[in-house]
Amino acid sequence: MIKFINVSKAYKNKIKVLDGINLSIEAGEFVSIVGQSGAGKTTLVKILIGEDLASSGQVLVGDWDISKISKYEVPFLRRQVGVIFQDFKLLPKKTLKENVAFALEVCGKNQAKIDRVVSSVMKIVGLQNKMDRYPNEVSGGEKQRAAIARALVHQPKILLADEPTGNLDAINANDIVDLLLKINNFGTTVILVTHNREIVNRLNRRVVSVDAGKVVSDQKHGKYII
Amino acid sequence: MLVSFFRALKFSLQDISRNVWLSVITITILILAMFSINTLILVRVVSSGAVEAVKEKVNLSLYLKPDSLESEIFELKFKINSFSGVKSTQYVSKQEALDSFREKNENNPEILQALLELGKNPLSPSLIITPYDVNNLGNLIEELRALESSIIESRDFSDNSMILDKINNITKRIDDIGIFIIAIFILTSLLVIYNSIKVAIYTHKKEIEIMRLVGASNAFIYAPFLLSSVIYTLLATVIIIMLTLPLLGVLQPYLELFFVDYNVNVVLYFVDNFILIFGVQFLAISVVNIVASYLAVRKYSRV
Repeated sequence: MIKFINVSKAYKNKIKVLDGINLSIEAGEFVSIVGQSGAGKTTLVKILIGEDLASSGQVLVGDWDISKISKYEVPFLRRQVGVIFQDFKLLPKKTLKENVAFALEVCGKNQAKIDRVVSSVMKIVGLQNKMDRYPNEVSGGEKQRAAIARALVHQPKILLADEPTGNLDAINANDIVDLLLKINNFGTTVILVTHNREIVNRLNRRVVSVDAGKVVSDQKHGKYII
Repeated sequence: MLVSFFRALKFSLQDISRNVWLSVITITILILAMFSINTLILVRVVSSGAVEAVKEKVNLSLYLKPDSLESEIFELKFKINSFSGVKSTQYVSKQEALDSFREKNENNPEILQALLELGKNPLSPSLIITPYDVNNLGNLIEELRALESSIIESRDFSDNSMILDKINNITKRIDDIGIFIIAIFILTSLLVIYNSIKVAIYTHKKEIEIMRLVGASNAFIYAPFLLSSVIYTLLATVIIIMLTLPLLGVLQPYLELFFVDYNVNVVLYFVDNFILIFGVQFLAISVVNIVASYLAVRKYSRV
């Protein structure tokens, strides 16, 4: 499904942020990528969503080599790779429903399809009764649920969660992880990038540890070891 | 496709209304640019009217001796007509000259009385020569000066081409200054549009970021901003039309007073050439603005 083959990334200062990463993630897996700040986790995310290109090596998503993806192909990649962030990235002047619908509007979907899909994903994330609330009227956990709903509207094969619990208390964080597990059970590959030790240990799923731009450990039922 | 267009249009109208003062400034600059273009067009219309008016007055006269025989006069007329620079030659007899003189002075009884007291027709017959090209009279004047005939009493080559030269020079100078002013306004409007789009992008930075995140195409991200620049131009064009035509209506009576007997109608000119004048301005400025917007979006929408 996803393959990083000897991927390195260096910026202008020549310091390698990623250094020969080799990683393979199968379809339907739930993988946690852990590591301290500056380990290279975010760079991995950026490369996976086409925001950044690898300096060397190959990145495959399915049969698609995205290591040299053009800017015209990036939108198509992003419809296959849903992504959520720590800061939710919701538009404050739109309701939760409008925020979710926005992802389909800007991709030119018709209104009937938007209504159908939005209603469906809002149910999946458990926000069907709060669809008309604005982001400032709901909790952090609910904001993240809305962000997940938005990431799901294109029915992505991969859901990339970059520190999704960073701004949440323990209860909300656990709820979000449960939701990610639920989505994973539907068959979506979930990649959770985090440095939340409790969550990783609780999951008891595959854990890839990254340090100084290198994969230092890859355990099938791993724990947070760094 | 149509759905995407209307969504882009909706986002564009939101941009314009949310940054209303910026929009007002942008449109004002565009109006000033268009005003300077239309002023230049107006000057061209008026100056070409003036040139035509002067051209019609350009003719060369040969005054003939009062006792010239008509056969000699017609022989001379035939000879002059054979000159390559001559369009036509009109013979004005003594009597016709007198009739014309009386007609011109019918409101001046003193002159008419003096003519009566003179007891005879003091005017000479003449040949009035109309040239083909009033801008190139030199050769013809030389030929007429060299023309030898015993019946020629005097020659009047009062050279109106100097006036034409002056008008042409003034028009050219106005053209040069006008083009300079237009260039400044277009450059200014380009910078203003660029900045307006830049501010609009900053206002919508988060929206653009999310658009990119959820897979909106570049075309869809660019479209609202490019549409905004076209809408700015459209609004400026509509306003300049609403300003220009009434202003020309106010100006027209003064021009009619100035160009008595000559058809210089600026209102009619702008109405007859409405599509050409305002359509071309709209298209040309739209293109300039779309380029400016495209550059701004390309540079500032990378979020």
